[in-house]
Amino acid sequence: MSTVLQDLVNQPYQHGFVTDIEADVAPKGLSEDTIRLISGKKNEPEWLLELRLSAYRQWLKMEEPQWPNVKYPKIDFQAISYYSAPKPKKTLGSMNEVDPELLRTFEKLGVPMNERAKLAGVAVDVIFDSVSVATTYKAKLAEVGIIFCSISEAVHEHPELVRKYLGSVVPVGDNYYAALNSAVFTDGSFCFIPRGVKCPMDLSTYFRINTENTGQFERTLIVAEEGASVSYLEGCTAPKFDTNQLHAAVVELVALDDADIKYSTVQNWYAGDENGLGGIYNFVTKRGLCKGVNSRISWTQVETGSAITWKYPSCVLRGDNSVGEFYSVALTNHYQQADTGTKMIHLGKNTRSTIVSKGISAGHSNNSYRGLVRIAPTAAGARNYSQCDSMLIGERCGANTFPYIQVNNPSAKVEHEASTSKIGEDQLFYFAQRGVGAEEAVSMIINGFCKDVFQQLPMEFAVEATKLLGLKLEGSVG
Amino acid sequence: MNTASTSRYLDSLLQRQPPASSLTWLNELRANAVDRVGALSVPTTRDEDWRFTDISPLTKLSFQPARDAAQLAPATVEQWAITEASARLVFVDGIYAPQHSFNRAGITVENLASGVTRHDAAARAHLGRHAGFERNAFAALNTAFLHDGALIVVPRDMALAAPVHLLCIATRKQTASYPRCLVIAESGSSVTIIEDFVALQDEAYFTNAVTEIALAGNAEMHHVRAQREGAAAFHIANCAVSLAQASRYHSVSVALGARISRHNLGVLLAAEGAECSIDGLALIGGAQLADTHSLIDHALPQGKSRQLHKCIVDGAARAVFNGNIMVRTGAQRTDSSQSSRNLLLSGKARVDTKPQLEIFADDVKCAHGATVGQLDVDEVFYLNSRGLSDTAARNLLTYAFGAEIIGRIGVASLRNRLEQAVLAQTQTAAAGAARES
Repeated sequence: MSTVLQDLVNQPYQHGFVTDIEADVAPKGLSEDTIRLISGKKNEPEWLLELRLSAYRQWLKMEEPQWPNVKYPKIDFQAISYYSAPKPKKTLGSMNEVDPELLRTFEKLGVPMNERAKLAGVAVDVIFDSVSVATTYKAKLAEVGIIFCSISEAVHEHPELVRKYLGSVVPVGDNYYAALNSAVFTDGSFCFIPRGVKCPMDLSTYFRINTENTGQFERTLIVAEEGASVSYLEGCTAPKFDTNQLHAAVVELVALDDADIKYSTVQNWYAGDENGLGGIYNFVTKRGLCKGVNSRISWTQVETGSAITWKYPSCVLRGDNSVGEFYSVALTNHYQQADTGTKMIHLGKNTRSTIVSKGISAGHSNNSYRGLVRIAPTAAGARNYSQCDSMLIGERCGANTFPYIQVNNPSAKVEHEASTSKIGEDQLFYFAQRGVGAEEAVSMIINGFCKDVFQQLPMEFAVEATKLLGLKLEGSVG
Repeated sequence: MNTASTSRYLDSLLQRQPPASSLTWLNELRANAVDRVGALSVPTTRDEDWRFTDISPLTKLSFQPARDAAQLAPATVEQWAITEASARLVFVDGIYAPQHSFNRAGITVENLASGVTRHDAAARAHLGRHAGFERNAFAALNTAFLHDGALIVVPRDMALAAPVHLLCIATRKQTASYPRCLVIAESGSSVTIIEDFVALQDEAYFTNAVTEIALAGNAEMHHVRAQREGAAAFHIANCAVSLAQASRYHSVSVALGARISRHNLGVLLAAEGAECSIDGLALIGGAQLADTHSLIDHALPQGKSRQLHKCIVDGAARAVFNGNIMVRTGAQRTDSSQSSRNLLLSGKARVDTKPQLEIFADDVKCAHGATVGQLDVDEVFYLNSRGLSDTAARNLLTYAFGAEIIGRIGVASLRNRLEQAVLAQTQTAAAGAARES
C-alpha cells in the first residue's frame, strides 16, 4: 500500500468537537421509572406511555441479536442515560433567540439554518441531543398542508395521526433495538404529506449526538397519503468521543396508493480512531411499508461512519404494483464493522424491487452485505434484481455477502449477482501515465464504482458523498 | 421440540453399535464420536445451518442399524450395474455384501472394516480428520458407527480411467445405515468414484453417510453422487474434501429421491493452485425437500473454484441451497465463481437460496449469481412456433435445464440412466404445470 493512500485514509475526523451547553440529563439506567420520567418530561398522553411500557416489557424478554457479523463488548444498558435535553433558557420566538453556542455548532457543521437555508431550498428540522430546537420553513410547508415537525410536537398537535401510524410498520416488539427505541425514544421527525401533494422541497434533518454517554433514540415517521410524494434527506455527524455511544433509531415510512417516498441518508458518525478505539454503535431499524397500490419507497444510503453499523432499510411491498428500491454505498476503514443490507418482502402482485449495494472495505475493517428477498405465495409476477459489488483495499480487510432468497411463487423472477474487485496497480499506473496522482485516481475509481448509487442521491448530497468517500479513504491506497 | 428430548433421540440411535476394532485409535475415535453425540442435539430450524430444513419428522420415527445383510439375488443388484466400472462395493442396508462386490481395478478398493488394519497409517492420518464432528451431530453419529464402508487408495501416479462404483441399497424400513467412505489419492494419481444410493422399498429409513476425500499434490478425482433413495427416506450426507497443491476435484451430485435429503459438501483448498468444480442438480416434486450446503474454502493462494447448482422444483416440494465461498486472509489470486439457478414448476413449490461470499483477501476474482423463475414464455413460444405442443415445449426446456448438469457426468451408462430419470420426472412435472396454467 502506498504512503499516499495511507495518508489519505488516516485523515482525522473533522467533525469532532463537543458543544458546551448545559444539558438536562436523566440519571443513568433503564427501568419503568425512567420511561415514566421521559414520558412525563415530554408531557405525553397516556396511550404513548402505555406503548412505551409495552415495548419495554417485551424488550426485557428479548435477547440481544448474535447473528450479525460484528463483534463488540456487551452493552451495559444500565450505564446509559436515556434522556438529555439542552436546558431551556426561554421560549424561542425567532432564530435570533436561539442559543448562539448552538448556532455556532451548526455553523461548524455547515447546516444551512438561516438565509442560506432558504437559498438552498432546504427545510431543516434540527435535532440537537434529542430535543427539537428550531424548525424552519414550517409555514411554507404548512401552506400546502404538509406537516413537518418534531415527533414530540406531533404527539401534541396531531395525536390522531401519530397514534394511527406509530409502530404500524415497525411493531414495538419487532426486534431488540426497535423495542428499546420504542420504550425510550426521545425525539425525532414527523412528516405528513396529505393526499395529492408533491412536497415542494427536499426535507432534511440533521442529527447530532452530543453529551457524552447519552444514547440517542430517534424516532422518525413519514406518511405519504394517496398520490403524495416527498424526498427526505438525513445527514449525520457526531463529535469525537472515546467511549462508545449507542444509537438505536427507528424510521418508519408509510406510502398509501400512488405515493412516493424517497429517503436518503449520508451517515458519517464518529467511527473510532485508527486503532478502533471509540466510535458510535449504530443499530438502526428502518422500514417502509408500501401499503397502497402503485406506491414506491426508495432508500438511498451512504454509510461511512460509526464503529459498528447494523442496519437493514427494508420495504414491505404490500400494495399491488408497488416498487421498492435500495441503493447503498457502505465504506469501512480502520476497525469499522458494517453489517448492512436490505429486506424486500414481496406480498402484492407485480411488485418490483431493485437492490444495488456497493461495499468498500479498507484497513482492518469488515463489511458485510446481508439481504433478504422474499416472494410470498401471493406475489404473482413479482420481480427482483439485486447487485452487490465489493471492493477491497488492502489485504487485512474483509468483504462478505449473505443474500437470502426465498421464493414461493413460480411466476416471480429473481436475479442476484455479486462480484468482488480491487483497485489494481495497473489502473493506478494508467492514471499516473495520464498525469493523475494516486489520490485523485483512487477517488475517481471509487466514484465510478459507486456511480449507480450516487446518481440516486439529491444533488447536494451527491456532491457531499463524493467528497466524503475521498476524505474517508485518504491514505488507504498506494 | 426441546433440547432434552432431541438429545435423547440421538441417544436412542446409538443402540446396536458395531463391535470394537483391534485398533486402539479407531476405538478412541468412535468413543469420542459417541461422546459428541451425547453432547449434541438434533439441529432445529433455529440453527442457522438448518433454518430452512426442518428435520424434526426424522425424530418422530425410530431407526436401528440392520442386524444382518439381506440376501439379494444377483439380478436384483445388477439392475444398477455400471458397465464401465472396474471395481464395485455393494452395501445392503449399510452392511458390506462381498458376494456382490468385485475389484479388477488394481488399486485398493475394499471394505473399510477390514482394510483399515492393512492401511493403518494412512487410514489413521485421514479418518475423521476431514469430516469434523465436533459440532455436527450427524457426522458424529456416523463416526460412532464407523465399521463397514469403502476404503479406496489410489497409488502414486496411477491413472485409473474406469470408475469405481459404490452402491448402497436400502431394503428394509426403519433401518439406519451409516455408509462411510475414505478416498486417499496419492500424488499424481487420478480416479473416478461413483457413490450411488438406491432403494428396493418406499418406506421410511435413514441413510447417514460420511465421505472423506484427500487428494495429494497433482492428484485428480471425478466424483459422482447419485442420490436415488426411496420416497420416504431420510438422507443426510457429509462430504469433506481436502485438496493439496495443484490437485483437482470435480464433483457432480444429483438428488432425485428421499423425502428429506441434506448434502453438506466441504472442499478445503489447503494448498496453492488447487482447483475444484462442483455441480449439483436437485430434481424434486411432491412433498420432497432437498437441501445442499456447500463450503468452498480457499485457504491458500491461486485456488480456482467453479460451482453450478440447479434445482427443478415441482409440486409442494422445497429446495434449499446454501453455497458459501470463503477466501481466507492471504489466499491471493483466488478465482471463484458460483451460480445458483432455480426453476419453479408449481404454485406451491419453494426455493430458498443463499449464495454467500466471505472474502478476506484483496487480489481475488469472485463472483456469484442466483436466479429463480419459471420457464421463459418467449422460449416456450419459440418452440410452439416450431410446431411443438405446449407440453412438449415445456418438457424439452425443463429437461434441457437439468441435462446441463447430468451432461457433466463422465460415465456414459450412468449419465444415460440419469438422463432417462430426469426425462421421466420432467414429463410428469411438465404435465402437472401445463394443467395448472
